[in-house]
Formats: sequence, structure tokens, C-alpha cells
Amino acid sequence: MFRPIPLPLLTVFLWLLALANPVLAHKASDSFMYLDTDSRQFRIDVALRDLALLVPLDTNRDGEVTGGELRQHRGAILAAIEAAITLSADNTACQLRGEESGISQHSDGAYAATRYQVLCDGGQAPDSLNYQLLFAQDSLHRGLIQISAGNESSLAVAGPDSQTVDLRPAGRAGLWHSFTTFLWEGVVHLLIGLDHILFLLVLVLPASLSRNDSITSPQRWLPSRAQIIELTGVVTAFTVAHSITLALAALKIVSLPIAWVETVIAASIVVAAVNVVWPVLGRKTWPLAFGFGLIHGFGFASVLSDLTSGTANLAVALAGFNVGVELGQLALLAICFPLLNLLAQATPLYQRALVPVVLLGVVGVSLMWVWERTPAV
Amino acid sequence: MTCSVKKTLRRSDIRRRPAISFPALPGRAFWLGLTLAGSLLSASVVTSAPSPIQNDFSDHAVLATLPDMSPDLSSTPDNVEALADEVQQLIGQARSTGDPRFLGYAERLLQDWPEAGFTDRLRVLRATLAQSLHRFDAARQDLERVLQTTQQRQQRIQSRLTLANLELVQGNYGKARQHCQELAGIYPGLIAASCLAQTDARTGQADAAYAHLQAQQASASNADLTGQLWAEGTLGDLAAQLDLDSAAVHWGIVLQQSPDDLYTRTQLADWHLQAGNLQATLALTEGYKQVDALAVIRAIALREAGAPAAEALADSLRERFAEAQWRGTLLHQRDFARFQLDIENRPTLALKHALANWETQREPMDTRLALRAAHSAGDQPALERLHQWLAQYDQIDQRYPEAP
Repeated sequence: MFRPIPLPLLTVFLWLLALANPVLAHKASDSFMYLDTDSRQFRIDVALRDLALLVPLDTNRDGEVTGGELRQHRGAILAAIEAAITLSADNTACQLRGEESGISQHSDGAYAATRYQVLCDGGQAPDSLNYQLLFAQDSLHRGLIQISAGNESSLAVAGPDSQTVDLRPAGRAGLWHSFTTFLWEGVVHLLIGLDHILFLLVLVLPASLSRNDSITSPQRWLPSRAQIIELTGVVTAFTVAHSITLALAALKIVSLPIAWVETVIAASIVVAAVNVVWPVLGRKTWPLAFGFGLIHGFGFASVLSDLTSGTANLAVALAGFNVGVELGQLALLAICFPLLNLLAQATPLYQRALVPVVLLGVVGVSLMWVWERTPAV
Repeated sequence: MTCSVKKTLRRSDIRRRPAISFPALPGRAFWLGLTLAGSLLSASVVTSAPSPIQNDFSDHAVLATLPDMSPDLSSTPDNVEALADEVQQLIGQARSTGDPRFLGYAERLLQDWPEAGFTDRLRVLRATLAQSLHRFDAARQDLERVLQTTQQRQQRIQSRLTLANLELVQGNYGKARQHCQELAGIYPGLIAASCLAQTDARTGQADAAYAHLQAQQASASNADLTGQLWAEGTLGDLAAQLDLDSAAVHWGIVLQQSPDDLYTRTQLADWHLQAGNLQATLALTEGYKQVDALAVIRAIALREAGAPAAEALADSLRERFAEAQWRGTLLHQRDFARFQLDIENRPTLALKHALANWETQREPMDTRLALRAAHSAGDQPALERLHQWLAQYDQIDQRYPEAP
């Protein structure tokens, strides 16, 4: 019988390895740093477990780090941290003046936390961070840093292959960039999201039927005062409503199953279209716009949540996306409504044939969506 | 993620944005909505500020417990065998505790060793490590090189087995079968038989594979403990695929022998969860909150049981995943996706991560999650793609929802 001794050992362990994808867990080692470039405050939190690799914290070797042992080694801990971190301004290293030290809690336990005042030449703010802590022990260790300036903040990561972090541009340019990115996403989502467009179309159709000064007006495609008031009411109601639910959902205060949200959105178009012909919900469209706007907001939120995972500043993303949706909405109306107006005056067929056909088409498409989207229970 | 929002956007800041001063049509109403969003944000920001620095702990307070095997990283091993022993021990530690820090220590040791001084055993270990870190191509490269050059039978067996499993995990069943057959040639026994059984089961022959492996196990020598245990775990996998109650028995035997086998523990806990045996799920996951996969399963079970502890565990997972996202590498993408699907109720986001995970890992658990997420999100193209792949291999698993 062949029985090589190391092999069975190794294979048992390979059984775990090869198949065991869920095994990788706990948390890899991270340090957390917080820099406020306005007040020049810098804080760093390092896991006690990680520090024990650099400083013999467990003096009595009982496998535990006590408050007394931490106090005993505080000098060595600070020395190890300060030796591995350099904040600098204009290529000149800044001084770190310790202000407070103690412990803090993160998701995997206690960390040694230290707060410093950063003193750079000429009172400048630091523009660069070099971080080398623990890389020589743990290739998976990372230094996570949050940089705050004014009301803006950004996140960065230092790793063995990227030990220097630029503290400057991430702030302002980064925020503006994410605002404009999300603004564009908002515009795009409204314009390619056929369901939102159809809903809007159905809502504004009645306004195009209500013009009565067409004979006297020379520019008949321009909306009349009454029409503008009606449109403003509808768009405002829709906007307020979906802004509320978009915010509630984006901030995870309220969460609804997306499959049902999508179904109700499709159903809302059907109801709105039917309401044009048989105003069961009343002739006023703005309450309808408000009511269903609430549910459309959840639809926008599901797109936004996919885009924002990993985004540092949710507030900026939310604002940008919302503004984008509004701009898309206005652009659409600015183009379509005069067109509808023009058609309405050009031919009596508009009211008698075109509008009913369009409504019928919209109802058909939306019903199909309702059918497709209804989740199997 | 809310936790990455560290600063409040004040109303005055929003007003300054030039893009917003565009048309005034929906004006006031829009600001109302945005202001509301702003004020809500300020409330959620409080929770995401760094936790306070405390100094009022006593000298006797235990602040941290160090792992049993504290690595001595002050001295690098001076010969290649000592290094390989240490790396192997560290990887084993990472496996049994689920703690990735040990993988980081192991990788650092390997990185410090000159490439010219690498032995076959060291390469196999490096591949094993790479596989654990989901760097499948790097793992494959090292293993194939060892297979081409090594004179050592043991390293050839080891590489063959690791490669077979790698291909199986990635869903390359043709290649997996080849490696299993090669393995059966140089190392016949229950391990190679299990390897082939897994491959057969995932390509349409689960019934036959289960019966055949059971017969092989019964006729094999009891002295081969490793092989017996390996076959037992595989039988558990196949039984679960066939929806046989014996799955719990097979996996239970493995866990009795090696309670640290987190893979089997996760499978069994998930099996009970799917069957609605919440008490069994909770018992299996008790004390494993540090392990993402088990903690997510526990959080779902707690919530389904209506236990008050459910929210606390969900909160701590939320924080953990948020930190992982800040870090930028989401190693446990499957667990994150499952958390989004079953706890956060965000199927679109869950689907995105479940599919990203499925690109590299196609174990039944990965496929099932992708199917469930695609289903909840109502994403027909994704569902079609998954169904197509399953049909291509004739893969049938009773745990999959709504398979065609």
C-alpha cells in the first residue's frame, strides 16, 4: 500500500481550498485614516491585532491584549505608526503633533486610534500622504483614507503598489465630476426609459387639447398661458413626488421590491391613459402626476443605487441624478409639446383620431409591460 | 453606500451649483424635494462618522484577543522547506478560521522569496493561495508549469487535483473531466472517483454519479480516512443537487470529523435554510459571525425567524461590506450579492454582483444566487443567459429556482 504521509494532510486541506470559496471571510486587514485639510486634523485607527505584529503588545503572552498592556506600549505603538506615515506639502514633510490617543471600534474589533495636528511649512495643508505600515508583514493590508475639505469628502486607498496618495485634486474636481456624471445619467435614464416618457406624454396630452385661442394667435405652436399653468402644475407635482421617494429610497429609509415597483409604474401609465378618455380619477392631472410620481421615484432609485455603489458622496450623486432627470423631462417637453400643439391646430383629426390611437397604443404597450413585469409569486 | 457619505451637503451649497439655475419651470417644488433629501442625508451621516476615541478602559479590560497561531513574522524562514511548511500552515489557518489576514502573511512570505529559488512544492502552494484570492489564471499558470516540469509524483497529484477543482469551480467541465481522469491514472481511489462524480453530476448524470460513488465508497478501504471523508462530502453535494434528505447526513458526518470545514458548514446551513429548518441553520452558524458566508445565512435565518438579533447582525454586515467597498476589492462578491438580495431587498444591485461573481465561479451556490437575483430583478436576458448555460451542460439542480 502506498501511503505518502504529507499527501493526505495536504489533500484534506485542498478539499477545503479548491471547493471552498465561501471560506474566505473575516475581514482583510485595513487601517482607517481621516484627514481634514481645513482644520489640519489627521486621525489613524490601526487594529490591535495588526499592531501586535509590529510591537510585542501581549507582554504576558496569554493571547490577549489588555488595557494595561496597551498603555504600557503606547510609546512604541505611536513610534511604529509615525515611522510608517509621512504627510507632506510641496515635497516637504510635515510634523505630526499627537493630540489624543485611545481605542475605537470597527467592524472587526478594537483599534488603536490616534489624532494628530498636522503642521506643514508655512501653515499649508498637506497635499500628499505616504503610507507603508504593515506592508512588510501582510501583502493584503491596505490604508483606507477619507479626505475632507469643507463639506466635501473623498476616499482613497494606499496599498503595497500605491503607497503615495495624492490628497489634492480628489476633493473639488472629484465632486464636480461625480455631480456632472450623475446629472448625465439622470438625463439619459429619463430619455431612454420609455415608461417615464410615455407617462409624461399621457399626462400632458390633455393640455394640448385645451387650447382655445388658436384662431387669434399667430404663433399657434407656442403654449398659451393657460397651458403653461397646466403643464407647470403637472411637471411640478410629478417632480416633487418622485424627488421625495427617490430620496427616501436612495437613503434606504424606505425600500420596495423593484419587480413590483416596475409593475406598478407600467400600470400607472395604463391608468393615466384611460383617465384621459374616461376621467375616473378626475379631470385635474396634477394629483395623478403626484400620486404616480411617488412610485416612479422608486424606479429612478433602483437605477441610482446600481450606479452609486462605491460612490463616495451619495448626496452629490442624488442631487446630480435628480437634476438630470428634471432636465431630461424639460427638454422633452420643450420639444414635444409645441409639436403636439401644432398638430392639434393643424387638423381636427388630432383630437378625433390621433389622440385616441396614441392612447390605445400606449395602453397596449403598458399592459404588455404589466404582464411581463408582474413577479411570479 | 450610506456609510461612505461622510459629509452633509448643505442647502447653501446646492444652491450654488450652476446647472441648477437653468429653467425655473418646476422651481420651488424641485427645491422642496432636494431640500428634503438634504435634510434626510444629514440624519444618516451621523451614523457613518468614525467611532469616537475612547480612553476610559481599565488596565484589566481585554481589548483584543489574538489568534491562537500568531505568526512570527520577525524572521523569514532560511530554507525553502521551512518556508513551504510555514506557508502551508498559514493557508491552512486561513481555511479553518476564514480569516484572510493569514493569506496576506503567506503571500508576503512568498513574495519575499526569489523566483529563482522556487521549488515545485512552493509553486503549488502559490497557486493554491492565488486560487483562494480568486486569481484563477495565475493559479492555472503555476499548476500547468508544475505538471510539465516536475519529477515529483506527489506534486503532480497535487497539481492535477487542484487544477481539476479549479476547472470544476469555474464550470469548465470538459477540462475538469480530463484532469480527473489523469488523476485517476496516477492516484486511483476515492478522491479521483469523487472528482469524476462531481463532473458527471454537473453535466446531467447526477443520479448515476451518486449511486456509483456510493458503491465505490462502500467497497473502498476504511483505512483511507481522507478519501472516505472526501467522498462523504461529495456525496453530500450530489444528494443536495438531487434534493435527497441524505445530504444532511453526509455533510453531518464530514462536520463531525472536521468542524472547521467551513465549506461544508456553509453548504449544510444553506440547505437547512432553504428547507425552512431555521433552528438547524441557527445552530450551525452560531459562533461564526466572523465568516461572511455563514453570517449572511445566519442574518437571513434570524430575520425569517423574526428574532430581535436580526437587525444587529445585518448592521454589522452592512458595516463590514461598506469597508470592503471602500477598500475597493470585494472578495466575497457572492455573500455581498446575497446580502443585497435577501436582506436589503435590492435585486438589481444583487444581480449585478451575482453575475460578476458568476463570471469566475460557477458552483451550484453561485449559479443559484444568480438565478434567484435575475428572477427577482425580472431580468429576462440574464435569466436566458443562465438557462442557456445550464442547458449547454444539461445541468439540473433541484435547488435552482424556476429552472426551465
